[in-house]
Amino acid sequence: MKSIKFLTLILILVPLFAFAQDDYSFDMSEIEKEIEKKPYTLGGYLEVLPKIFALDHDAAFYKLNFYNRSEKDYLDEYNFKLSMNGGYSKGISEVYIRSNITKTESDINPKTDVDIDEGYLTINPSSMLNFSIGKKALKWGKGYAWNPVAFVGRSKNPDDPDLALEGYVMASADYIKSFSGPLQSISVTPVVIPVYEHVNGEFGEQNNINYGGKVYFLLYDTDIDFMFLTGNSKPVRFGADFSRNVTSNFEIHGEFAYIDNISRKTIDGSGNKTESIYDAQSYLFGIRYLTASDTTIIGEYYRNGTGYTGEEMEGFFGLVDNGYATYFSTGNDALLGKATTMAKGSYGRPNPMRDYLYLRISQKEPFDILYFTPSITSIYNINDGSFSLSPEIVYTGITNLELRMKAAFLEGPDNSEFGEKQNDYRIELQARYYFDASRLFE
Amino acid sequence: MRKIITAILLLLLASPAMAVDGNSLLLQVDRNLNPDSYESYKKLINIEPNGKEKEFILFTVKKGKDKVAALFISPASEKGRSTLRLGENMWLYIPNVGKPIRITSLQSVVGGVFNNSDILRLDYTSEYNVEKMEDTGGEYILHLKAKTKTVAYDKLKMWVHKEKLVPVRIECLTETSMLVKTIYYKNIKDFGDGIVRPAVIETDSPLYKGYKSVMIFAKIKARELDDEVFTMTFMPNLDSLR
Repeated sequence: MKSIKFLTLILILVPLFAFAQDDYSFDMSEIEKEIEKKPYTLGGYLEVLPKIFALDHDAAFYKLNFYNRSEKDYLDEYNFKLSMNGGYSKGISEVYIRSNITKTESDINPKTDVDIDEGYLTINPSSMLNFSIGKKALKWGKGYAWNPVAFVGRSKNPDDPDLALEGYVMASADYIKSFSGPLQSISVTPVVIPVYEHVNGEFGEQNNINYGGKVYFLLYDTDIDFMFLTGNSKPVRFGADFSRNVTSNFEIHGEFAYIDNISRKTIDGSGNKTESIYDAQSYLFGIRYLTASDTTIIGEYYRNGTGYTGEEMEGFFGLVDNGYATYFSTGNDALLGKATTMAKGSYGRPNPMRDYLYLRISQKEPFDILYFTPSITSIYNINDGSFSLSPEIVYTGITNLELRMKAAFLEGPDNSEFGEKQNDYRIELQARYYFDASRLFE
Repeated sequence: MRKIITAILLLLLASPAMAVDGNSLLLQVDRNLNPDSYESYKKLINIEPNGKEKEFILFTVKKGKDKVAALFISPASEKGRSTLRLGENMWLYIPNVGKPIRITSLQSVVGGVFNNSDILRLDYTSEYNVEKMEDTGGEYILHLKAKTKTVAYDKLKMWVHKEKLVPVRIECLTETSMLVKTIYYKNIKDFGDGIVRPAVIETDSPLYKGYKSVMIFAKIKARELDDEVFTMTFMPNLDSLR
């Protein structure tokens, strides 16, 4: 473990010295070399991400994850990631692949994963039309922290909404048409998603082919999308979103999703499961505002129609408490096993309840420090009054190196979402070095 | 056709200065800076007071008065990012984020003194009217007023090279005439096909004391482009135009 910590320090510090000096040059021939297009691309980033978690011994998720482990106050974790992406284009076709190798050193869950997040072939017969087939991440919706209309993509983590997500195997196309007048453009994106045991098995019910689509309009300077997903892997759903700049520094956006006959499983303190089927409506409304002093404010309200009520969450937390007490009195962890199963489903997902507020305030380059951006983000659970508060600083002043330091403090009463999380707080330092390896083949 | 228009405009400009129409002159400045529809490669350099620099290379395409898109080619951390501007609508596409988001003209996708409206610059005539024109003998000075409130700078004071009819210096001002930044056009270069324009644009700002940003045009050439290239859906595919 000591060598891992030393390696972490070296990987964070070395680029600071290695890339601090650049040459200022007007040499046109050098620029022309750089702009020459090659048929292939190869790049990515190397990331080091150490984290320290301060554990909350009274929280339900601590009990669930640590009941059969030695008690700890702090947990340290060291993450290493090599993310590579590459492409090759010939004529109107292009192959693209994005993969990650991640290694996590941790006392509770050490692991090494190799994943292909995306890998697809695109055919571009014209600027109006393209076809893609393969594993691709499509992100629908205008929300920053949440996207209830992301019918064909994976859910993003509101704690890190900009993180690249893994895609699904699909066939898709884009047809684009521009106009003059109030309707400036329209694009149509049909999607076909097969779901079988070894293909998109986690998307939904297997042995089905699902059909989705999105129609986009730029109408009166407003982005408007309508989307749907049908098939037997997931309940049929429809949605819409919009985004518009009201003034040059004020943007508004929103999403609405309607899900037909969704099934939701709840569990009570004794481990009894109940399944209900209903039509869910989720929606989101948000703003992005830039002040004259370069402060960006992002605010969103999210209604999660598939989320749990306060009472339903209390039932789950009660089950963990009962299971924990039973385990220590009898050694029987059956109730905790049930709770673990439910936690792997909807109870354990980020923001599993009904009503949330999101607020992010970031200040670009304060005190004239170029490329330095401090921010603070909060997610507030309206239903139980718990919240997370995450101060963060990002520095990108060294070419291709991104340094980020972030903390996340979780607060809330007993039986509340953030009050029952495993950690009281978390501190992390991320160093990410981007590289372009295309020139290695020259 | 281009030569005929230029000749007519030069003939007009040969008359006494007061007779020169400021808006026609501004239109000629626009056409001398770039063709109506074109592609270009440019390098952006942000220079800090301590001399430290950060460089970006962009591939830019523009069509008509209000359509412009740019793709970052380097550095590696920005590669694949693209920006699109349709009038006052602007979007940023980041490959990792995977979908375009709306941005504003006053933000800067590269940091430094250039903001988004400087990088994705439209024709001056599409955003400004000439309120007043002066003839100093060696240069024209155009006083420009934004057509709408959504334009990044409310007023511009533009010094124009009398012979080449390209800007020499532009002061960007607020409604109350406070100086936001000064843009200097330098190193007039022949890019071929009749495009003779400044290859280097420098800017500094009293709001960023000691900082400087430089834009160097490496290539610029006329190119016919489909309207569909300038759509949000096409943003991830901009590299296919290179």
